[in-house]
Amino acid sequence: MEAKGPRLAIIGLDGVPYELIRDLAAKGVMPMVDELFQEGKLDKMASSVPAVSSVAWSSIITGENPGTHGIFGFTDVAAGSYRLTFPNFAQLKAPPFWEESLFGRSAILNVPSTYPARPMNGVHIAGFVAPDLTKAVYPPSLVDQLRAWEYEVDVDASSAHQSLELFLRKLNQTLDARTRAFLGLVERPWDTFMAVYTGTDRLLHFLWPAVTDPRHRLHEAALDYFRRVDHSIGRLVERLPEEAPLVMLSDHGFEALEIQVNINRFLLQEGFLRWRRERPRSLNDLAEGSVAFALDPARIYLHRKGRYPRGTVGEDQAEKLVDQLAAALAELRVEGREAVARVYRRQEIYHGPQVDRAPDLVAIPAPGIEFKAGLEADSLAEPAAPFTGKHRGDNAFLYVRPPEGHEQPPQARSVQDVQPLLVWLKNSLCQSRRRNDE
Amino acid sequence: MSKDHNAQKTCWNCPALELRGHVDFRACGQSMRKFMTEGQAMAECKRRPELGLFDPASLTFEECPEWEEGPYGYQLRDMRVLILGIDGYLGWTLALWLGSLGFRVAGVDNFNRRRWVAEEGSHSVVPIAPMEERLRAAKEVLGIEISFREFDILDNEKLRQFIQEFQPEAIVHYAECPSAPYSMVDFQHAAYVQHNNVIGTLGLLFAMRDLAPEASLIKLGTMGEYGTPLTGRPIFEGIFPADAVLQWDGREWSLGGELTPRDPVSFYHVSKVQDTFNVYESCKYWWLRSYDVMQGVIYGVHTEQVAADPRLRTRFDVDEWFGTVINRFVAQAVVGIPLTIYGSGGQTRGFLALRDAMQCMTRLILSPPEPGQYDVVNQISGVYRVRELAETVARIAADEFGLEVEIQRLENPRVEADEHPYEVVYEKLPQQLGFEPQVTLEEEVYQMLKLLIQPSIRSRIEAIRQVILPKTRWSGLHKEMDVIERYKVRPRRVVGLGAEGGGEDDPER
Repeated sequence: MEAKGPRLAIIGLDGVPYELIRDLAAKGVMPMVDELFQEGKLDKMASSVPAVSSVAWSSIITGENPGTHGIFGFTDVAAGSYRLTFPNFAQLKAPPFWEESLFGRSAILNVPSTYPARPMNGVHIAGFVAPDLTKAVYPPSLVDQLRAWEYEVDVDASSAHQSLELFLRKLNQTLDARTRAFLGLVERPWDTFMAVYTGTDRLLHFLWPAVTDPRHRLHEAALDYFRRVDHSIGRLVERLPEEAPLVMLSDHGFEALEIQVNINRFLLQEGFLRWRRERPRSLNDLAEGSVAFALDPARIYLHRKGRYPRGTVGEDQAEKLVDQLAAALAELRVEGREAVARVYRRQEIYHGPQVDRAPDLVAIPAPGIEFKAGLEADSLAEPAAPFTGKHRGDNAFLYVRPPEGHEQPPQARSVQDVQPLLVWLKNSLCQSRRRNDE
Repeated sequence: MSKDHNAQKTCWNCPALELRGHVDFRACGQSMRKFMTEGQAMAECKRRPELGLFDPASLTFEECPEWEEGPYGYQLRDMRVLILGIDGYLGWTLALWLGSLGFRVAGVDNFNRRRWVAEEGSHSVVPIAPMEERLRAAKEVLGIEISFREFDILDNEKLRQFIQEFQPEAIVHYAECPSAPYSMVDFQHAAYVQHNNVIGTLGLLFAMRDLAPEASLIKLGTMGEYGTPLTGRPIFEGIFPADAVLQWDGREWSLGGELTPRDPVSFYHVSKVQDTFNVYESCKYWWLRSYDVMQGVIYGVHTEQVAADPRLRTRFDVDEWFGTVINRFVAQAVVGIPLTIYGSGGQTRGFLALRDAMQCMTRLILSPPEPGQYDVVNQISGVYRVRELAETVARIAADEFGLEVEIQRLENPRVEADEHPYEVVYEKLPQQLGFEPQVTLEEEVYQMLKLLIQPSIRSRIEAIRQVILPKTRWSGLHKEMDVIERYKVRPRRVVGLGAEGGGEDDPER
């Protein structure tokens, strides 16, 4: 059955920075993408705060900020406990765009943070983090077909800890299987098609210098991966209706990683954090005297009375403590350099019904520095190997090829402007169809 | 008794844990192979699916409503325990013990132990009921429903089916042939014991890998795996402590975490050592979890449950193959056979009363190791010389029951040191798992004598008196042991165990 109505396609490239895709296109590594760029407009776009995939993609698909959609990071703490949870699609408090009738029948493929899949009008394959393929897919009948395509939600990143060559081979295998699935599913009826390539993010975490430095021994191998992605995009775009508007985007950017800074270690050293045992196993080991703790990457929460079992910070102390934490963070230096580019307070960045669950502070690292919130770190700063690339919040990209005969839509400045853009595109398509019908 | 030993254990230790993989949040939530030491573990709970995905280290037994306070620590509600070898001396006792604590118990047996004992022309001197009757009585008298299957665990297909069906959360493995002399009879017996024990356990490990990887395995080893190192170095709990050091040639290495040397003392003990390595490797390869229980020699006949009805009694063997030393002494005392000790009788061993063994097993079941963790406990409550044990039994028999008891030293049929140093480390059960012995040697010997002296049981001992003395020599020589010396113990009231009470002033206590 052929789907009816105007069709819209969205292609995601997880973690690909604006400058990188621009240059790879211009230098002929990604010729198909370059061709597309001639037909539309490429812009820089801001990611979410913090700039991590689960938050950014949740904003992209809902058009909301975390204060409304409720996803503040890969981890969260269950209310009234110290149970560390991994919020996913089931905890998303705002509807994704494809649940609106405007978008018709959809194919939503490999969008991060949409696990577990739930019934919808169309097909859905959740992206990472998706521990069980059978729960990642709707309709469930698709699972066998995906297995036949040797589809994997995510590359096995543990191989990168053994050998970067092995990791690249696995990335290629995962990409090939993903391409088989994308091409197989794009042939089925849809009104809205969204497919995300996530291997790009995985590669940049481990191979950033290989991509950017022509003298790196794996430079060509890393570029080959982008050539494969380009080829895959080309085959996908061939199968899209020519008149369909196309959106291509990333959720955050990237840059070189030099030093990892452990924020909980910092809080410990500064006296904001105390553990009940020498080597904490979980947040359950927070001592009563602790006033703050961090979740990845640098979301700092006050240890509030009433919210956590041993929390002691009252409302009356909160503001002063936030000031003290912000001041201490501003002073944080590692290896002789400033570590913090900016500190956001909750009310500056979050709004909406979930805001009470938001971190009190979010620290944005200076270039080259990555913040982590592990519990066991013995030192404030440590080498990040084998990781060589890190997320950056200000250089995601957005490309729009508007429907034929239409002007460029209003610019999306940040990830939460994407969903309104998609609505705008769908609406303008509907309007022109109505005009044609008249 | 301590209940707190497992309060701070987390979902890592809980068999309801379903590990969903490791995720590296240093790199944007990248998935790792299913089990990694790096990255953040993600789990779901089989019992509480509403929790979604969470960090298994962040929820303790104390906080989880599925774990409720019980007499031996936090207890997983309706915890499913599969006992392999449920018809045996320990298996049956444990089934009733756990059942009365509210565990859901299933068991497997092929009644081999009954056959092995019959092979020698012996029988359990305390009469035991057939399994059907045992199960019925358990239900009638104690209200315990036990799910039982008869098969040989070497039949891997049947074992898999039952594991699949019952979904055990802990597996207690008693289903081995536990006799050193039996394994030394001839080649056929040695091969049989090793095949039965080693291959049975290996099949269980593969079945657990495929069907019950989260269940904890409580595997019966034996203190005899270690032997008796003549240097007098301590016998650690299976694994060298962190500060153990090897010095050689002016250099030094840490031994911390390595398995300690094993020096088994019969082909049966060799089978247990092979099991140890198979279990250890399975934990390493497949993230199974296990306690290897280096159990001392068990003695005794009494728990509240087995004493509740004659049909619930557990077996009590005193023959040369399956009778353990104290049990055999008591039987000998009752029928007037001199208590037989081998060589000088200076052999020193770790011992544990039946009831205390049950407490230990319960604590181990309630405190599962973490996935991938192979742990060892030395399960004993005291260390005694065999000669002293004989003297203790002789004195109680004389003082409390007026029995004339002699002790005789025989040629030692085994290859072992009669006199040796023996320093056993047994700290984990009392210090980490809250074990407090409840039974003294003297009290249990008294209880045993009281039961065995009953005419009906005494006559059952009389009926097998020809198989009590040792005949199986490690050398293979077929010849009765010569008597070296026979003597009487000077009567002395060591304890007051009867109605009179007293005994508090005894200097040896």
